[in-house]
Amino acid sequence: MDRNMKILVVDDFSTMRRIIKNLLKELGFTNLEEADDGQTALPLLKQGNFDFLVTDWNMPGMTGIDLLRAVRADPDLASLPVLMVTAEAKREQIVLAAQEGVNGYIVKPFNGATLKAKIDKIFERVES
Amino acid sequence: MTQAQEQDFQPVVGREKRLADARALAEAIENEDSSSEAQLIGELTAAYSGNIFDEVGRMTREVHDTLKSFAEDERLGALAEDEMPDARDRLRYVIALTEQAATRTLTITEEATPTAEQIVDRSQRLKGELAKVAASEADNARLGGVVESMTRYLDSATTCGERIKGQLTEIMMAQEFQDLSGQLLMRVIDLLEQLEEKLVGLLQITAPVRSAKGEDRKSVPAERAEDGVGPQLPSAGDNVVKNQDDVDDLLASLGF
Repeated sequence: MDRNMKILVVDDFSTMRRIIKNLLKELGFTNLEEADDGQTALPLLKQGNFDFLVTDWNMPGMTGIDLLRAVRADPDLASLPVLMVTAEAKREQIVLAAQEGVNGYIVKPFNGATLKAKIDKIFERVES
Repeated sequence: MTQAQEQDFQPVVGREKRLADARALAEAIENEDSSSEAQLIGELTAAYSGNIFDEVGRMTREVHDTLKSFAEDERLGALAEDEMPDARDRLRYVIALTEQAATRTLTITEEATPTAEQIVDRSQRLKGELAKVAASEADNARLGGVVESMTRYLDSATTCGERIKGQLTEIMMAQEFQDLSGQLLMRVIDLLEQLEEKLVGLLQITAPVRSAKGEDRKSVPAERAEDGVGPQLPSAGDNVVKNQDDVDDLLASLGF
């Protein structure tokens, strides 16, 4: 896994963006950018050569599930690995995210070890 | 329908007449005489409708009286126009306060982490330098003893630095509460807004002069899982995953 890969962290709560970015830094990832909802994230993704997207679900403007759909519908972004880190914990929601092509799903509250395990698993699959 | 209500619907026409009508109706159906059939059904229904009209009248009066007392209750007006918006503001303030506190804590942990890393790095470097001095002055027993105790101290400083780093990460992760509590409070704010809107609407119907505040209020749509419904309470049912293991099991069952 390339530690220099460019990662976009999307969450409407600045506290959570900061926590996720700090955890990613601890895991050795330094090329990090952030956005506060799907609407601001999508243009960034379209211009920005991102290698990985970490997004919340429940956000004003454009939700994470709609962002996921937009990513999968865009030929340039369709293969971008997407990890959801969200408080949304209903079974139907997790099933929906899987159907829409999410690569990993973490329910808040979570911890650094879970984040590391999911990222490792995602890139193991992507790279194999 | 309860027994009491059934008793209210006693027919207003005598038994003999109703029986005669019923027999005539059976006969009309047998003879396929549709015009007599329609007429007889009308008469039989009419035998009861007097009571139905009385009942509707009584209910209308009750609704009217209830709405009138509703409109005259000053408390409801204050609730809808002042107290509910005030409660929403208070909850927003709680969100702002917790965000300030979490941000402050995060800033401090972000500043303290490199300090802890420095303690670890410098201790290790100094330990290396001391080892070189000790090697070149191997015959100096007094120096050897000092180097040994300093090395022990530097090792424990390294352990402490690592431990503090881990604890700072824990403190950082604990600030996650701000996101979760903020989302929960925002849903309560939404709920208050919907209640307030309904209450203002009702008050407008019952006493139109009272307030026009609610007119430009946007309507709040019902909750949809699609839009995200926020953190679930620990008491939530089976439809909700309880922890990350549940999430992983569910995804594994989908072939993940």
